[in-house]
Amino acid sequence: MGELTTIGFKPGRSPLHRLDPRTKQILLIGLSLTSLRGNITFLSISSLLTIYLFTKAKLRIWRLICETRYFLFFLLFIFIVRTVTFTGQWLPAIVSADMIGEALIVCWRLLIVVFMGLLLMSTTRIADIRAALIWLMKPLPLVNEKAAATMVGLVVRFLPLILYQAGEIGDAMRARGIEKRKNPLTRLVKFTIALFRRIFLRADELVEAMQARCYNENRIVADLAFSKRDSYAAVIGILLCLSVLLE
Amino acid sequence: MPIIETTHLYHRFSDGTQGLEDVSLTFNEGEFTVIAGANGSGKTTLLRHFNGLLLPESGLVTVCGQSVKKNPSAARQQVGMVFQDADSQIFGETVYDDAAFGPENLLLDRHQIDRRVTQALADVNLSGYEDKSPHQLSGGEKRRLAIAGVLAMAPRVLLMDEPFSNLDYPAACMVLTQILNFHKNGHTIIITTHDLEKVIAHAQRLVVLENGRVVKDGIPEQVVGGIERYGVRPPCSIQLGKGIRPWVN
Repeated sequence: MGELTTIGFKPGRSPLHRLDPRTKQILLIGLSLTSLRGNITFLSISSLLTIYLFTKAKLRIWRLICETRYFLFFLLFIFIVRTVTFTGQWLPAIVSADMIGEALIVCWRLLIVVFMGLLLMSTTRIADIRAALIWLMKPLPLVNEKAAATMVGLVVRFLPLILYQAGEIGDAMRARGIEKRKNPLTRLVKFTIALFRRIFLRADELVEAMQARCYNENRIVADLAFSKRDSYAAVIGILLCLSVLLE
Repeated sequence: MPIIETTHLYHRFSDGTQGLEDVSLTFNEGEFTVIAGANGSGKTTLLRHFNGLLLPESGLVTVCGQSVKKNPSAARQQVGMVFQDADSQIFGETVYDDAAFGPENLLLDRHQIDRRVTQALADVNLSGYEDKSPHQLSGGEKRRLAIAGVLAMAPRVLLMDEPFSNLDYPAACMVLTQILNFHKNGHTIIITTHDLEKVIAHAQRLVVLENGRVVKDGIPEQVVGGIERYGVRPPCSIQLGKGIRPWVN
């Protein structure tokens, strides 16, 4: 368990660690939405800023890239889908350089959104994420903000554990020669059944452990406070967003 | 004064297996009890009835005179349970968060939560670990964190399901020493185990379960003779004819 996946909160004193979680969540939502329309300038500045914040938070970028390898495969798939076309011939044709450029920008946008999300997860305690979500969702009608925030908090909390379990099951299967099964579908089915079984068992154990410690929806939330630092971060975020929206 | 009582307790699992059969036991405040039995004898099932994680098919379980079935939440406040697998009990992101989970559920104010967490972590020698990720802790430290998470709720009874499983010798010694301290400080302790070696010398009472029934109940010196018949290995010192010897001093 010591080698648990790097996706998850890492204690620290970086500028991002010290920001109010509400500011971080609002910035994440704003910048993610803007990224979907972002041009190369916006994406370059956002990427540099993300790398800077990763470094300041003492997070290992290469390790995170390794951890997100399945998402990178997904991006590769998107890239291929957007750049390859079938014209009725046996071999697919590659479209123009412009289309390749566009496909790269789409992948870049998605990558930036994911890495900004990872930054939030790595620098914010789940208890703070939960408290911020309750604050953000309070004005929404028909939403039980406490239950919703708890569910999001649990997903964020247990994502690294699920990835860890997946790694363990993968290792156990390799140790017993799963590679000899050539059919990828058989391998996938065997892996998925074992993983889901473990996840559901774990979920049952989690519910019991929470009940044993008197879990209730109205539990005390973490104290949050805005500071000057949040105003500076908000100004930088707004300027970045405006640079795209006013283009 | 009785703190937990079960009267003609029966429990049947959804697959039809009889988990507990006519279990009637009384645990007094401040008592140190060991519940022993082979795998599948019903030890964990019985513990789960004490804090309302399981409810009886028939019979009654009371904690401090109140029915657990009617008010499981009150029972859980009085009866803290440490699970066999510490990993399944720890869900805080940091050591502090995990220990604070229970007090936060009890809606204590932040100052009180901080005080309780600090005290609970100090009680299990985990002061200074507040910002660490629980998954970076060793097996013994995780077990102690699981105990701290329960202690922070200030329960009167500590239930521990196989507290020494998967622990090496120093970690087991440390956990045992802390259990003995909690008992000295007035906590009622109920431990389930199939390995009597470590705790038998410190327990005041030994209950043996077999196939969900209580087959022996009394002071350890009287109950331990012939216990192997129920799938429980007697301590080495008993086998060597030296009586019950403590595992830690």
